[in-house]
Amino acid sequence: MNCEEAHDLLALDAVGGLETSDRAEMERHLTTCADCRQAAAQYANVASLLPAALEQVQPPARLRRTLMAQVYAEATTKTTEPWWQRLLNAIPANRAITAVGAVAVVAAVVFGIWGTPGRQQVSPPIAYAVSGGTSQESVTGTLNVDTTSEQSVLTVQGLAVLPSTEVYEVWLVPAHGAPKGVAFLTPSPSGGSWTAVVNVSLAGYDSIAATNEPVGGSPAPTGAQVLIGQLMSS
Amino acid sequence: MPLTDDDIVRSISTHSPEGIEALYDRYGGLAYSVALRILGDRGAAEDVVQESFLSVWRRGSTFQSGRGSLRSWVCTIVRNRAIDRLRGDRHRTHLDTPIEGQSLEPAVTDPWAQVALELSGEEVRKALAELPAEQRQTIELAYYGGYSQSEIATAMEVPLGTVKGRVRIALDKLRLTLADRLEAPWQPR
Repeated sequence: MNCEEAHDLLALDAVGGLETSDRAEMERHLTTCADCRQAAAQYANVASLLPAALEQVQPPARLRRTLMAQVYAEATTKTTEPWWQRLLNAIPANRAITAVGAVAVVAAVVFGIWGTPGRQQVSPPIAYAVSGGTSQESVTGTLNVDTTSEQSVLTVQGLAVLPSTEVYEVWLVPAHGAPKGVAFLTPSPSGGSWTAVVNVSLAGYDSIAATNEPVGGSPAPTGAQVLIGQLMSS
Repeated sequence: MPLTDDDIVRSISTHSPEGIEALYDRYGGLAYSVALRILGDRGAAEDVVQESFLSVWRRGSTFQSGRGSLRSWVCTIVRNRAIDRLRGDRHRTHLDTPIEGQSLEPAVTDPWAQVALELSGEEVRKALAELPAEQRQTIELAYYGGYSQSEIATAMEVPLGTVKGRVRIALDKLRLTLADRLEAPWQPR
């Protein structure tokens, strides 16, 4: 294959029209031709501009709501997995690592953390209680803070079901200054509890709260406060 | 201060839900427009966009800056999923479109990519409109229709070589036209 023929296939590939039967030969040529590798990047970049010419259509609000509910639900599941499960999950599935190897990795981490005198130990998680705010007094819940990752999970029971136009937005409230919107509470599939993952350090904040807000959230709290919790060590 | 694309990529790579939220808020509309253009059905487009963003969330970002923009990376993922769905509907399997997880970007950095980010939709629309109808139609059949070179040749009743030539000339012209508008020199090979 010469460069002229390769360019034809590279252009086709950039718009997604290349057939499998032509790909192998094109890729063989690319391994030996720097000019054509550069051309591949150029064609791909031009083709990537094609969507810019589309008239943008606004997706329905439910798409964002459904997507983020799924994401937050999975984030919560992941965060509440035991530490050894998260460690095993972190091992890439495609790496040739045996079960023995995995155990060795676990053992190495365990001894690395606890086995060496004088080493810094992993801080235990901190839990803060939250309770119902002005509009929903029967609400209870817990904010579990992983002090290592600075990630927190807020789990709440007793919240009322919301109309589809509203969300529960979670705020961190400083002693002085404006509350910061940090997450949305998502109902568990089985109902009953709500969760939110807060990926923000709690340092500098006095309390955590949640309010009713329109879908998509608000720059500052506007709705009724449904829960509140003080961020102080017990 | 709004997040930059780099901030979003960093956030996604730490498996942060806020990263996906920011990615969707920035490119969800474009992603939906691409899926809708390919599938022509709002429900199917919603499914594809949701699946695409969830796949990014579950796998973490495979985006590599310097190999194209975050915008084109998102569009590629959504386009590939939409085309897969379209192909499934047509029971076609022989077209070779990469799926995410494989390299979505070319293996060589093209400095023009960053310049291209500054182009507006209107400029790209104008450049497309300047192409001869048969060239425009050929690249649209491939890009939005998911048709292979042989299928396009059959549909347009032209030899395979003509299809290849049209795609290449169309992309060369697009690049030249848009580079001219940006006053960035570029010569087709």
